[in-house]
Parts: sequence; C-alpha cells; structure tokens
Amino acid sequence: MDLKEIYWLDELSKEHNDIVGKKCANLGELVKLGLRVPYGFALSVKAYETFMEQTGLKEKVVQIVEKETKAGLDVDKDIDKMIEMSANIREAIEGYDMPPDLARQIGSYYTELQRKVGIADVPCAVRSSGAVSMPGQMETYLNVKGESEIIKHVQKVWGSAFTTRAIVFRIQNNMPISWAPIGVAVIMMIEARSAGVILTVLPTIGDLDRAIVEGNFGLGESVVSGEITPDSFVVHKHEMNIESRSVAAKTKMVVYSDAGTTVEEVPLEFRTAPCVDDKEILEIVRVAKDVEKHFGNPQDMEWAVDKRFGFPENIFWVQARGAKYTKKDARKDEEYVIDLMLQLFRR
Amino acid sequence: MKIYDCVPGLEFDESVDFAISPCWFQDATHSVPPWTPMFGWFWINFCRHGMQYGAELLSLPTVKGWDWRFKDGAGYLALLIVKDPNERKAREERFRVAIKPFIEDFGGMWQGFVGEMVGRYEKLKALDLDEATNIQLLNNFEETINTCRRMWEIHMYMMYGVYTAFVLFEQMTKQLLGIDDTSPQFHKLTSGFDNKSFQVDKGLFDLAKKAQAMGLKDVFLSTSASNMRNALKPSQKGQEFLKVFDDFMEKEAGWRMERMAEINVPTWLEDPAPALNVIKMGLEKGIDYNLDEARKKLEAERIAAEKEVLEKIAPEQKSWFKMILKLAQNSAWFSEEHNHYLDLYTHAMIRRSALGLGKRFVKAGTIDNPEDIFFIIPDEVRQAGINPDMFNLRPLINRRKADWQGWCERGSAPMFMKEGFSIEEAMKGLVESLDPIALKVVVGTMPVARPGLKADLFGVCGSPGVIEGKVKVVWSESELSKIEKGDILVAPTTSPSWTPVFSLLGGVIVDRGASLSHAAIVGREFGIPVVMNTFEGTKILKDGMTVRLDANMGAIYILNK
Repeated sequence: MDLKEIYWLDELSKEHNDIVGKKCANLGELVKLGLRVPYGFALSVKAYETFMEQTGLKEKVVQIVEKETKAGLDVDKDIDKMIEMSANIREAIEGYDMPPDLARQIGSYYTELQRKVGIADVPCAVRSSGAVSMPGQMETYLNVKGESEIIKHVQKVWGSAFTTRAIVFRIQNNMPISWAPIGVAVIMMIEARSAGVILTVLPTIGDLDRAIVEGNFGLGESVVSGEITPDSFVVHKHEMNIESRSVAAKTKMVVYSDAGTTVEEVPLEFRTAPCVDDKEILEIVRVAKDVEKHFGNPQDMEWAVDKRFGFPENIFWVQARGAKYTKKDARKDEEYVIDLMLQLFRR
Repeated sequence: MKIYDCVPGLEFDESVDFAISPCWFQDATHSVPPWTPMFGWFWINFCRHGMQYGAELLSLPTVKGWDWRFKDGAGYLALLIVKDPNERKAREERFRVAIKPFIEDFGGMWQGFVGEMVGRYEKLKALDLDEATNIQLLNNFEETINTCRRMWEIHMYMMYGVYTAFVLFEQMTKQLLGIDDTSPQFHKLTSGFDNKSFQVDKGLFDLAKKAQAMGLKDVFLSTSASNMRNALKPSQKGQEFLKVFDDFMEKEAGWRMERMAEINVPTWLEDPAPALNVIKMGLEKGIDYNLDEARKKLEAERIAAEKEVLEKIAPEQKSWFKMILKLAQNSAWFSEEHNHYLDLYTHAMIRRSALGLGKRFVKAGTIDNPEDIFFIIPDEVRQAGINPDMFNLRPLINRRKADWQGWCERGSAPMFMKEGFSIEEAMKGLVESLDPIALKVVVGTMPVARPGLKADLFGVCGSPGVIEGKVKVVWSESELSKIEKGDILVAPTTSPSWTPVFSLLGGVIVDRGASLSHAAIVGREFGIPVVMNTFEGTKILKDGMTVRLDANMGAIYILNK
C-alpha cells in the first residue's frame, strides 16, 4: 500500500489501523457502512515522519535524548531529567515551522473540509489517534478554527507523544524514547443540539424485535455515562412505530468548552421537551437496523443531532459496536442456536 | 444356474450410476476387508436407508443423505446434494422445527431409542433357536431384518442431528475463541463423560481385579486365553469366577464382535477368548489404571476448561454458547455409546438369528456349515426357510464363496470416478455438501506440515498431550496382545473392541480419522495423546522404533532412525 500523508476518513478502513490509528480507522469503517460521521481527515504516521525528517527534528530529538540518557536514566529517581527532556522536545516540535509542502496539503484538506461542511473556518477537534493506546498520548484540542491554528495543533498533538508520562511508559516497556509516530485526526466539531445512544435490542430482556433510543440535550456523554435520566423511546423494529415514550425532566447537559467539556443547566423551557422528534427517532432506528443487518448482531451506537443542519443531514454517528444484552429465556436461545445451525448450511 | 446380485438393485453399475454422481467413494473404514454377501446386503440396504431417513426427518437443507452401492464386497457412497436454492429454503424451514428435540432433550430422546432397541433385542433373544420351529426361526430372521432397518434409522437420525450441533460448536469456538477441533483445549471441553462402552470396559477391569483377589492370577498368566475356560473349571474359585464372568458377558459385554461392521466373526458371548485376553493382559501388565479416577480427572479438567472458556465469551453470548457446548458434549459421548447399543448389538443379533437358521439348514442337509449362510442374502434364505429339507443351497453358496475369496485376494477399488473427473473435484463435492457426517467422520482435517518442527510425520491432534514410546503397528485385534504398557499404537484406524487396550497405551497414531472417530474420542477419555490423518503412519513407522508424539502440534519424531 502506497502511504499518503493525509487521508479523508472515507478512504480508511480497519487495514489502516497502523498508519492512522484506531480512532480514525473505526470512523472510516462507519463511513463504509453508509453512516454519516463527522467530516474530517487524518494525518498518517507518514506525515509525522516527513515532518520530523524535513525539519531535522528527528536528529535533534535523538540528540536531546542522548544528552539526557548518557549518564543512564533511572525512571524512579531522574524524574526531573525526564520532565526537562519532555519540555525540550515538545518545545522543539511545536516551535518548528511545518514544512511548506505538508502545510500546503493540510491547508487544502482543511479548505475542502470547509466546503464539504459548508461552514467557513469550521471548528474542529484535533486529537491523537494511536495504533495502540499509550498513556499520555491522549491530547485532544477542541474548537480549533482556521488553517494556521489547525497546523499549530497538529504539531501540538505530535509533541504530546513526548509528555513525561509517555516517555516513562516507553522506557518501562523497552521502547525507543526518541521515535514515537502517531496519527492525528482533524474532525469537524458537532454542534450537538442533542445526542445519545441506540440499542437495536432491549438489553434487559433481550427482545430482538425492538430498539431503544435514549438521548439528552447537548453532547452524548451525559447519556453514555449514565449520570442523568435520559429521554427514552422504544421502537418496534419491523412495524417502525414508536411504542413507548418516556420524556425525562432533564436538568443538566454536557457542552463543549474551550478546555474540553463542561456541564451546563438545561434551559427551563426545554427541560420537559423531548430531545428528538419522531422523524429523527425513526431515522436513527432505520440506520441502526442497517448496521445490525450488516454485522448480523444487535448494535450499540452513538448518535448526535447537529443544530446547524436540516433533517436528515443533521444526524451524525460517532460509534458503533456489538450490543451487550441478556436473552429473555431459553426459547430465545434455542431459536438463536437454530439460526446459527442454518448458517452452517449456507456457507 | 443364474447367480443373482448380492444387493439387488444396488450393485454398482457405471453405465447408470455415474449419472447420479461422477464419483463414488469406497467406505474403507467399514468395508475393508470385503464384506460377506449377507452383511453387504444388510449394510448397503439399511445404512443407505437410514441416512436418507435421518436427513429427511431432519430436513437437512443441503443434503438428502447418501446413496450407496455394492461392488466386490465393498460399499461405495455418493452424497445426494440439494441443488435447487428454493428447495434448500423450504428444507431450512422444516429443519427449524425438526432439530428442536435435539436441543431440548437429547438425553431423553436417546434413552427412548435405547429402550426401543433393547426391547427389540430382548424379544429376538427370547427365542430358543435350537427348540424353535422353522417358521419361528424365519420370523425371528425377518424381525432381525426389521430391527436392523430400524437401528439405522435411529442411528443416522441421531447422528445427523448431533453432528450438526458439533460442527456448529466447532465454528463458534473458531469464531469466538480462535480454537478448532484440533486444539487441546477444544478436546478438554468435550471429554470426561461416562458412556455405556466405557462401563463395559470398566467391567472387564473390575473382573481382572476380582481374579487377582480370588487368587487366580497364576492360572491366567500360565494359560492361553482360548484355553482359559478349561483351566478355570476344575477349581471352585475358578467356577465362581466363570459364573460372574458369564453373567457379565450375557448381560453387558457379550454382544459385540471384533469387527464392528461384519457378522462372520464370533461374538464375545460365543467365544469369550478376546474378553478373557483383556483380563489376562490386565493381570500381566498391571492393572494400576483406574478408569474412575481417570474419568474424574478429565471431568475436573473439563470443568476448568469450561470456566476458562466462558470467561472469554461476552456476557450476552454466554447462555446460547453454553447451549451449543452442551450439544457438542452430547456428540462426544453419543459417538462412543451408540456403537454399543446400535451397530455392535444389532450385528450380533443378525449373526445370532442367521446362525440359528444356518444350523437348521445344516441339519436339514441344505448347506454344509452354519456359517455358510453368510454367503447368501435374505431372499435366498427365504427360499429354503420353511422347508430347508426340500432345497439345496450349496451351488449358490459355492459360487458366492468363490466370489468372496476373489474379492479378498484382489481387494477393492478405493473409488470409482467418471473419466475426466478429478479427485480434487470429488473432495470439493464432499465439502460442499456440508454434510456433517461427511465432514466429521469421513474427511476430517488435513494435516499441515510445519517444516520448522523438523518432524518425521505430521497429522492432526485428536487428543492432546506429548509422549515418547515404542511403536507397535497393529492391523487387527489378534495383534493387540503384543502391546506393552506405554507403547504407541500405530494403526490404519481403531475399532470399538480395541478400547480396553487404550488403558495400556502411551499414545495412538492413526492413518485416518476425524475429531469424532473412535481413536480420538477414546484417546481423549483415557487422557492419552492421539494424532490422526497421518495417512502414512502405518507405512513409515515400524515396530522397534521409538517415537516422540507431540499431539498438540500434530508432530511425530522418530528418535532412533
């Protein structure tokens, strides 16, 4: 595979795990399923390599590391040395100018992204996307707007591979200190009016004929974390009718702030209003059913409704995975086992 | 005189049979060496019937059982594949309902069938063959024919159902756990179950212990098995022992023969020498093998493996996975137990009933030797059934016997293939049938050579473990006595009547086999390593060689080349 420095999310799939990181690869998979995921692009590890080589930073980092480790490095005692090393390297990575060709590429992807979304200087989340999760590599910058800021924050993410924690982790695991390529995801920020989850099965009784949609105003975190009582809608998957609605009194919601997320009060007049309307609920169920059909097992998916767009372009998907649930009774298991047996004869 | 076909209507005829299937495989497991005409008639007619009956009752979506032909004393088979997608769909719908009893109450189903078959056997055995009238003898024979047909119906219905579940389990372990039926952990999950065949073996071990306790060890060691009865009779202890032994033969172990798929060798009840030999071997070679303890150990290992595996299964998948696990475990014990209640017992009944008529025919001057009756087929038996004194069956028997001797000398073809058809295409057809019996018993898993291991022979794991020992190549039961404790048995395949010897073995290597064949199941129950599908084990390995058998890797190393 010929490596590119930057990929659109819809160019990615699981095979790109190692070059753009899991997060981006997973989003690419969702796009492949026909889901609308927040638009964005990913810088591969090759972009990192190009940056480090063309700026001469590759050698410079080696020099810094060698200088600090010449006399040997004890993870427990030399913490000051490592803090200093971390600061020096991060400063260097963030301080150098992006090589012109790479800067041009990032610029043109960002321009195209603005066109796709239809919003000038569309605010983005810039976050690390590692092939393996590594402590200390969790830097995420929200609400980054404009080409030069985007570029600046890409460099910040690269530098985040050299936090003190990340360095200690690499020493302890016998990994090279001075070489830590990571992918970077640049993804449009959702302006979530409301968000939540859908399970294409009723998890407590294992009813496979029904789906449950749960949501709240703001970002999905409040629903996923289970901290609030969300609105909840049960939909019959074949009839496609909403069989039950429970609209909760929603007092708190999670919204983006410059430093991450923060909890806010839900305005009084919205508290007892449903966070999604019927046609949004049915659209969410329709899409989730397709994904369930594709994977052959019930799904647990996260959705968000973006207030800037009209239906159905306002529904975005950020996660899809197999649902955890319990089966209703032995009969259901039996039917399922028979289904599996029949699959044997269809190979 | 015109000589009729052995299996009328089902003799292989390439001018018509290639239209049914371009390839007919020989059933080498059961029909080598060649069958007698009478046994061939029973097998071809009723195994064929049973497979089609079982596949139809279950409505297997892709296969309608097998077709069988007879040629030169051997059975040849072809799969009846459902090609029309609409028909497959309709069969799927019926399968949904038909498979349910297997999931809901397999044990209960099986107990019902065991009861039915044992009832039939008891009824057949109730007739005193020496005192019976000719008509009663003939009726007994007709009932035996019906019993054999019914046996195959139950046999194949049960086997298709339970093996489907086994194939599913194998699939699921592959998908969810990354292990297949050649993995040691897989085997642990399906071992440690009691079954009737093992109870019989345990009975023999208990008898050896009893002989020792009664002070009969010296008599056993100094006497050949064939002369054992005479040597035991004079002493009171000996008579006491024989009484217990005969009772055990009559009730439990006697209705089996060395060769499972034939009727021309004596049952253990007629000639208990093989059973006495097992006892003798136990006394000679030490009976420190404790079946009960071994079973307990395997059971504990199984429970530990179940726990380990279930931890890896996602919570929401646990309950149905457990259901499939249970079904697969049923296949493991059913595979062994059915031999006792079905094949072995029914074939012993055929022999009993046919010999009853044979003796009567000799008395009436129809034939020369009771066993000659195995050279004619039921239609011909009926000719002389009521009035044997009026008929002479010798010309028929002589010609058939000459044919049979010819088959034995020449051997039979491993397959019949239409011109231009390749073995690869034929194997592909077997796999595509998705027939669970074809997959798990006939084909098995092909060995993968691992050059890095530098082994001398490769096969697939039938039972896990690593062991070193001396090679003993065994072609038939009569050679089993050369086995010493810790030896590695090398054979084309193993037969249910060899089971007791497994307690002496260090390990087993067979030319052919799949995860549900005899060697694998019994090896697992005895906790000894087994490597199968080596294809060339009996060719490459020789008595006197010492080998290391690494069943986990399917590798065999010759240590003294």
